[in-house]
Formats: sequence, structure tokens, C-alpha cells
Amino acid sequence: MRSRNPWSWVRYPATALALFVILFPFYWLVVTSFKGPMDAAAYPPHLLPHPLTLVNYQRIFAVFHFERYFVNSTVVASATTVAVAVLGSLAAYALARLPVRGKVSILLALLVISLFPGVAVISPLYVLMRDISWLNSYQGLVVPYVAFNLPLAIWILQNYFRGIPRELEESARMDGAGLLRTLRSIILPLSVPGLFTAGIFTFVACWTEFLMALTFNSSNNWRTIPVAIALFGTRFSVSKGDVFAASALAVLPITILVLLFRRWVVSGLLSGAVKG
Amino acid sequence: MTPTVRVSRTVRRRHGGHGGSLAGHAMLAPALLVVAAVTLFPIGYAIDMSLSHVDLGLTGVHLRFDGFHNYSVVFQSPQFWQSLLFTVAFTAVTVVLEFALGLLLALLCKSWVRPRGALMSLFLVPWAFITVVSAELWGYMLNGSYGLMDAVMQGLHLAQGNVVWLGTPTLAAASLMAADVWKTTPFVALMLLAGLLMIPDEIYEASDMDGAGPGATFFRITLPLLRPSMLLALLFRTLQAFGVFDLPFVMTGGGPGSSTQSLSMLAYNAMFRDFDFGPGTAVAVLTVVVVFLMSLVIIAMFRGQLTGTYDA
Repeated sequence: MRSRNPWSWVRYPATALALFVILFPFYWLVVTSFKGPMDAAAYPPHLLPHPLTLVNYQRIFAVFHFERYFVNSTVVASATTVAVAVLGSLAAYALARLPVRGKVSILLALLVISLFPGVAVISPLYVLMRDISWLNSYQGLVVPYVAFNLPLAIWILQNYFRGIPRELEESARMDGAGLLRTLRSIILPLSVPGLFTAGIFTFVACWTEFLMALTFNSSNNWRTIPVAIALFGTRFSVSKGDVFAASALAVLPITILVLLFRRWVVSGLLSGAVKG
Repeated sequence: MTPTVRVSRTVRRRHGGHGGSLAGHAMLAPALLVVAAVTLFPIGYAIDMSLSHVDLGLTGVHLRFDGFHNYSVVFQSPQFWQSLLFTVAFTAVTVVLEFALGLLLALLCKSWVRPRGALMSLFLVPWAFITVVSAELWGYMLNGSYGLMDAVMQGLHLAQGNVVWLGTPTLAAASLMAADVWKTTPFVALMLLAGLLMIPDEIYEASDMDGAGPGATFFRITLPLLRPSMLLALLFRTLQAFGVFDLPFVMTGGGPGSSTQSLSMLAYNAMFRDFDFGPGTAVAVLTVVVVFLMSLVIIAMFRGQLTGTYDA
């Protein structure tokens, strides 16, 4: 087949170059995590660990108790994701199916609010949380995370709900099912991919968030992974190998999660989130 | 492209007047209340704080109305103008680069049919990266004494001796932009690819039959039809870039000097390093005002596309 596409031959080297640039830093992160302190600071740098060592991985658990931050991040991200899925489904169903005044305005306002810089709210929230003793607690992060992630989840879910044939709900309703029951037994089971999309976006956002976690949960026992990694160097003498062993462990689970659910993430980007 | 108006009427009729509407508002309320409680209310309180002398006592916070004193402190501070300039430059350069490279990447990805899904999922690797980790990693690769980039530059005979990537204001800013472009371009590419894949093949076939060259096809068909995706990506990227915090905080610490201190960092440092909550909050409020104005402009460009879809 003759192709008129001007990319037909350029695209091989171009794709190789793009993949190299996208993936090389990831490779460098993993390689460095297996290098000893001297090796990590060698110049010119070695492309492979020389010798390969697991000492960084031992140190981040034995000396820095990395598992603590891992638990914190997991609890906060999971709790937020569940809350966002519940509240988001309710709101998205109302926006997709029920008469609500000013739908477009609500959706646009939500979108803009979710993109507001976090710095706008940290000083009032810090003061408020200090008063009610929420600083250095799980709920002190979960509640703001829910609020900042709900808008995108509502966008994704209401787009998804719109795609479900209305006849299914109507027959359920004729059987006497109420709104909540229709949502739970008809809409949600059919929306599993949409829920996964919204869930992945929320989980990734919580796993990577830095500013609020740094401001509200700065005490060592309550730090999430990004805060722990950023503040590593300030308390101990750490090697780059330590930082990157922790980083690799922080990045790997989320990468695996995203690659496992890539179909839904991509379809969320391709249809739900973007279709606006 | 469901016509919402028609839907709403059907439901309203079935539920008899305002019943459906009441249920709708009840289902919407919890989400909207949480969002308002954590965003709108604090922004209101932040405006109050920015107009007050803030006293962070042990017994609680005391605000004393102080007019525009905090704002005049901010406007007279050279650091504020430096931060504003850096943040604007960072936003402009990264958004332009991410769009140009993202569009190339999206077109490249579209040209592949079979491994497209695999390519797209690899684009997600930088997106799922923790920005703090990306900052540590780029800081390490650009390290002035044993960094990988120095070895590459010397290997290619582009530099003799070590390059002080993060030690001079211009190079430090450029390094931050590069790190941001690396992390975010694939995401922009995915959003644009979504738009590209929605353009029906028939349009391209028709333009092909009319004898349009690749250039004309790109400018007359691809770009105009890509407008909705581009505007949404523009909204996402501009607002996020303007609020940039993690990357300079970890990679350069705002340095050298305070040359790469973004507005968010300036506000954070004023509040939580110097405990100047009044001026710090004033910087935060100013950042929000700029973000809000930018989003209004982008949404004004965008609203036609939206109402076309939602019809409400």
C-alpha cells in the first residue's frame, strides 16, 4: 500500500527518539537506586550499577522507615478515592440525568476551581485546621484532596453516565426502583470503566500532591511520600542512592497501576475528560 | 452529544414538577458543599486575611483590618516582581513548548495504527511521576560536578569543563522548564490525540480528493477541528503552570538567589518560613486573581464549543 503520509519514514527515528527521551529518566532513576554512594557520584557516570548493590533499599527501611510514609500515602489516597467515587457518582448522576438549573455553569465553575493553585487556600485552611487540631492527621489531607479531585471525577462520570441508554433506567424505574437504587443497581455496574478512570486520576493526584501535604502534615510521622522524599536531605546525610531507592519504590506502584489500567486512563482522556 | 434540555424535560414530566429537581439538588449538594467548604470559603477568608494585620497567637488567629497595607508591602517588594516575571516566563515558555511538541507527538502517535495503544500507555509514565521525584532526578542529572548532562555535553564536545546548570539564573530557569516539558508534554499529546482521533476520516479523504496538500489539510482541517481539545488542554496547562510549586521548591529551592522563585513559592515562603501571613496571603490572592482572569479568557474562547455539546 502506497502511503502519502509525510510521516511514513520520518516516524521511525522520531518515535524512537520520543520514546528514548520519555523513558530514559525512568531508567536512570532505577539504575541509580542500585548504585552505592561512591558509584552514584562517579564522573563520568556509569550506565549500569558498578557494583550492583541493594544497600540503598535496606537503608531506606532500616534507617528512614520508609514504610511509614508508604502507609500514610496509601491511606490518604485510598480514602480520598473512595469518597470521591461516592460523592462524585451522586453529583454526576444529578448533572447527567436530573433537571438542575445552570448545569453548564456548575461544570465550568467546578473545572476552574479544581485548577486553582493550592497556594490560594493553604493559609486559611492551615489556620482553620490548627484551631480544630486537624494538622498532622489523615482527615486534614483527605478532606481537601476530596474537594480538589471531585470536579474532574464529576466531569468524567457525568460524561460516562450520559452514554448509558436511558431505557435501562426507565425499566428499573417502572419496577418501582427509586433514584438511588437505579444509580446503584443499573448505572454504577455499567460505569465500572468510568469509575476506574475517575479513581485512577484521583489516586494519582493524591499520591503525587506536595504543597498541601507539606503544609498540613509536616511532622515526620504524618508525612506522605513526596514530602518525605523532598525533606530527606534536611534531616539525615543521605546519598542520591537513598533518595532514588525511595523514589523508585514511590513511582513503581503507581506506574504499574496506571499501566494495568491504561485502557481506562486513556479512554478517560480520550472521551470522558476531554469531550467537553 | 446528548441534548440535555430534552432529557431534562422528560424527567421533569415523569417526576411531576419539582420533585426530580429536588432530588437532583439533594444528590449534587454533598459534593458541591465539600468543594465550596475547601475552596470558595477559604478563598473568601484569604481575601479577608490579605486585607488584615494577621496575628498568629497561641490562642488562635486575630485579624485586624489593615486596608491595603499588605498589598502595598507586596507591590514594593522587588522579590514579588521577580517572582511574577519568572512565573509568567515559565508559564509562557512551557505551554508553548508543550503544545508544539505535544502536537508533533500526537500526530506521530496517530500515524501508528497498531502499536498506538502501547505508545499511549508509555506516555502515561511521566504523567504518573511524582513531581518531587522528577525534580530530584533532573537535579541529579544536571548536577554541576558529576551530572549525566555534563558527561553528555562533553562527550558531544558541546562544552568543556562543567556546566553550572542550576547555578546561573537563566540556565536554572531553562532547566526547570525542560523538566516540566518532559513531565507534561506526553499528557498534552494524549489530550490532543483525543481530538485528532475524533476527526472523521471522511473529511481527510474528501480533502485528499480535492487535491489539498498536507500543509493545507493541516491548517484548514486539523487545526480548526482540534480547537476544543486545544482549548481544554490550554486551560489545564496554563492554570497548572502558573501555580507551579513542587518543581522549583525541590530542584532549585528558588535559586540561585531568588531567581526561580515562583509566585506560589514566594507566598509559601512568606507564610510558612517567615510567618508573614498577611503579605504571603496577599501574594496568594493576587495569584488567584491572575489565574481566574486567565481562565475567564480561555473559557470565553471555549464556551461556544461547550454549549454546542451540551445544548443547555
